[in-house]
Amino acid sequence: MGVSDQDTDIFQLLETDVNKGFRLLVEKYSRKLYWHIRRLVILHEDADDALQNTFINVWRNLGAFRSQSSLYTWLYAIATNEALALLNKRKRNETVSLDDVSSILADSAEGSTWFDGDEAQIRFQNAVLQLPDKQRIVFNLKYFDEMTYEDMSKVLNTSEGALKASYHHAVKKIEKTLGAD
Amino acid sequence: MEKLKNITDKNPFKTPGDYFEEANRKIISSTINKETGSSRSGLIVRLRPFLAVAASFAVVLILGYSAMKLFSPGSDSGDIIPEISLQEFSESYLNDIDILMLEQNSDPLIMSGEVPDISKAEIIDYLLLENIYENEIFELL
Repeated sequence: MGVSDQDTDIFQLLETDVNKGFRLLVEKYSRKLYWHIRRLVILHEDADDALQNTFINVWRNLGAFRSQSSLYTWLYAIATNEALALLNKRKRNETVSLDDVSSILADSAEGSTWFDGDEAQIRFQNAVLQLPDKQRIVFNLKYFDEMTYEDMSKVLNTSEGALKASYHHAVKKIEKTLGAD
Repeated sequence: MEKLKNITDKNPFKTPGDYFEEANRKIISSTINKETGSSRSGLIVRLRPFLAVAASFAVVLILGYSAMKLFSPGSDSGDIIPEISLQEFSESYLNDIDILMLEQNSDPLIMSGEVPDISKAEIIDYLLLENIYENEIFELL
C-alpha cells in the first residue's frame, strides 16, 4: 500500500513535537481504524470504546514503535487486538450471541440507529459473522480495506500463503451462505 | 465476487454526526501532555547509573555472605544431602505418584479415547491460521 512512505511527515513531527505528531496521526488514521473495528464488533458504542483504547495504547507505546518500519500495519495490529479483546470479553459475558447481526442490533436500540442496511446487506453481514473471528478479520482487511497480503501478514503475524488460502475459503463460504438463503 | 460487490457498494453502518471530530478531540485530550512510552524509557535511562551502583552493592553483599558461610568452621552443609542410588530414587518417585489423582487431572477425552465431533471446515479454518499451506492441508485430507 506504500502508506509508510506517506507517514514520513508523522515520523518527523513525532521526533520534534510528539503532541503535534500524535494529533496528525490520529487525524489521519482514526476513520480507517474505526471502520476496521466497527466491521468486527458491529455496534458503534463498542467500536468507539475500542478506538479510544487503540489510540491510548498507541500513545503509551510510541517509544517502542519508533524502531519499527510500518506505522500503518502497527496501528492495524493494535486496533485488531483491541477489537478481538472486546469480542472475547463479549463472548465471556454471553449477553449476546455473535452469530447473527440482527440479534446484535435488536439487542441494542441505539445499535440499530447506526445501521440502515437493507435485507441483502443484513444477509451479507450475517454471512460474514458466520466466519471464525480470525478468518473474518482476513476477509475484512482484504475486501474492505484492500490491504495487501504482505501488510496483512505483518498485522496478523501469519504467512501470506495461509492468508491467501484463508481469504479464498472465506469468500467461498460467504457465497455459499448467500446462495443457500 | 461480483455478486458480493453489488451488495457491499454502500456502507450500511452509520455514525452520529461529527463523530470523528468528537472522537479525535476525545482521544487527543486523553493522551496529549501525558507521559508516553518513550518518556518512561527516558526515566529508566536517567536512573540507570543508580541502578548499576545498587546492583553492585547487592552482588558484593551476596558474595561476602556466601564466603562467610563456606569458610566459617562447622558449615559442612554438603553432608546434609544423603546419597541415594538412581534406582532408589526412581522407586521412591514412582511410589509417590497417585494414579487416581492423575486420572482426575487428565483430559477426559484422552482417558476415554473419545474424539470430539469436528467438521472438516473447522479443521481447515484452524490449519489455515496455523500457517499451514492449503496444498499441505489437501494432502493431509
